[in-house]
Amino acid sequence: MVVANPILYVALPLLVAFLLPLFGKIHKELIRVVPGLLFMFLIFNTVVLFSEVTSTGKPIITQIAGWAPPIGINLVFSAFSGFIAGIISIMGLLVWVYSYKFKKVEFDNSLKYFVLIMLVTAGSIGVVLTGDIFNLFVFLEIVALSSYPLVAFYRGRDGAEASFKYLIVGAFASIAILLGIVLIYSQLGTLNMAEISLRIGEMPEKIKITAFILLFLGFGIEAEMFPLNGWAPDAYSQAPGPVGAVFASMTAKAGIYTIIRLVFTLFDIDAGYQLLLGMGIITLVVSEGIALRQEKLKRMLAFSSLGQMGLLMIAFGINTKAAVVAGMFILFNHAVIKSLLFFSGSYLVYNSENKNIKDLFGFGKKLPLTAFLFGLGAFAIVGLPPLSGFWAKLSLLMASADSNLIALIALILIVSVVEIVYYFRVVNGLYFKKYTGEFEPHKPSWNASLVMLILAAVIVTVGLYPDLIYNYFVNAADALMDKANYIQNVLPSNFVGLN
Amino acid sequence: MSEELMQQILSISFYGASLALILIGVYGVLTKKNLIKILLSLTIVDSGVNLLFVSLGYIMNGTAPIFSPAIMDGKIEVLKTAPMVDPVPQALVLTAIVIGLGVTAVGLALVIRLFRHHNTTNIDEIRNLKW
Repeated sequence: MVVANPILYVALPLLVAFLLPLFGKIHKELIRVVPGLLFMFLIFNTVVLFSEVTSTGKPIITQIAGWAPPIGINLVFSAFSGFIAGIISIMGLLVWVYSYKFKKVEFDNSLKYFVLIMLVTAGSIGVVLTGDIFNLFVFLEIVALSSYPLVAFYRGRDGAEASFKYLIVGAFASIAILLGIVLIYSQLGTLNMAEISLRIGEMPEKIKITAFILLFLGFGIEAEMFPLNGWAPDAYSQAPGPVGAVFASMTAKAGIYTIIRLVFTLFDIDAGYQLLLGMGIITLVVSEGIALRQEKLKRMLAFSSLGQMGLLMIAFGINTKAAVVAGMFILFNHAVIKSLLFFSGSYLVYNSENKNIKDLFGFGKKLPLTAFLFGLGAFAIVGLPPLSGFWAKLSLLMASADSNLIALIALILIVSVVEIVYYFRVVNGLYFKKYTGEFEPHKPSWNASLVMLILAAVIVTVGLYPDLIYNYFVNAADALMDKANYIQNVLPSNFVGLN
Repeated sequence: MSEELMQQILSISFYGASLALILIGVYGVLTKKNLIKILLSLTIVDSGVNLLFVSLGYIMNGTAPIFSPAIMDGKIEVLKTAPMVDPVPQALVLTAIVIGLGVTAVGLALVIRLFRHHNTTNIDEIRNLKW
């Protein structure tokens, strides 16, 4: 079809972001209506492009300004990158529905909020789709630059402090990434990811490893990898409620995508997989351990989110087909379940001064729907059957069993027990502790309830019928792991064959 | 002094200067307590990386790749292009400079917000969140 094009993913949100203040001058309601229309169009775009990719079995390559890659810049919409782009646009729509009334209070604030959300969307999808490593850097910077103000959105909280911390770490990430790109460019003279991947063997070993480590470091910060994730819990907990969901389902997805592309496509270093696996294990264990000690709900959710990122790195680090499929499943689950937890959790602590877990004791009776949905999300993320989290964890465990990583299975199960302990502490408090009456709960608006119900429905449906979307994970894993195919599709003429 | 030697000395001094800038900046970020000084150090690191990048494509006596004058070679008119510098790093560094500017601007805005909230720019006194 003519209307659907990968470039619209980047161009339209950017355009809308810059035009939104003008729309606001025409009519005040437009600043809240237009982003929603945009997200609906992005989802339509995804559906059209995705059906084309599935039917032809080939990624869609878009050249920009008519220059063929490797000279020009290209976008690659494959079963893998398109899938993540789809998750980001769908979560964008849900975040929009959730925040539709949330930001009704002030015109200026809601304008700022939606402009920033548009920029985060454009950046995250751009990171996922681009086939040019410098473009990747630019899009990552767009994501980071629009995330800093989102963290500092509320003046009353310590948002500015969290945001400043994020900014310092993020600036180091961008410097490391830029240095890595400089090294690659100085040796290969190209920035096209397919050509880098094709010719990476020409780089001298020492420079190659240095470039790899610099890029791994930089992308690791964006992917919230331990020990580079000190900024994340503060950023998650100080940002407005829906922004936590934005971070979990959009920026973290972009971050993990970069690190996966780095290890799977760009470089041919086998130790990269082991490094990813090792860092994943450390991230998982440390984050879940710290989550156990948290007193504040959002910080706990943030550390649990970091743990999920660790699980993702483990799945991709194992590097078998089954493990990558499991990784795609975890990636999908993390977007859906974590968003549900952030959405419902932020209503649970809405009026609480300190956002402590013990403030929401007895809320099962006060906010029955929200508390129930939070409980459902908690059960899903620890992996209880028949919810979607169960299948993701099961497939990861089976994949590690196939690779004879018995110690890893034991580790994941132990960490799951830790997860169960701290999530059930909250759910137990919600239902079986007495309401102490320190503050009145804030009833969720109908649109927020709608979003939470949709997410819960997705969790239950996928849990009961995992086959519905399992094929997409398999296709995505195929597209990711077939490096020769990626290069051939981007550079049909330059392709000489990989040994 | 031959041209090649000059070129080598030049590139070594470029690399040395950018490395020095990066190290000075990193030292500043790690040791300074003032928020504005930390931001300044970050921009110094940025300039170091940008200098390194731009020096990669530099050729002595090279021209801009937009336009190159014809050189007459002997009696027969042969069009030889003058040596050109690599334009790609320059374009990239322009982008990187703009991004750095954006980060610095957002950082300074945050410093203003922090100063209003805490009445100090000393990083040790701003400790509501665990650092």
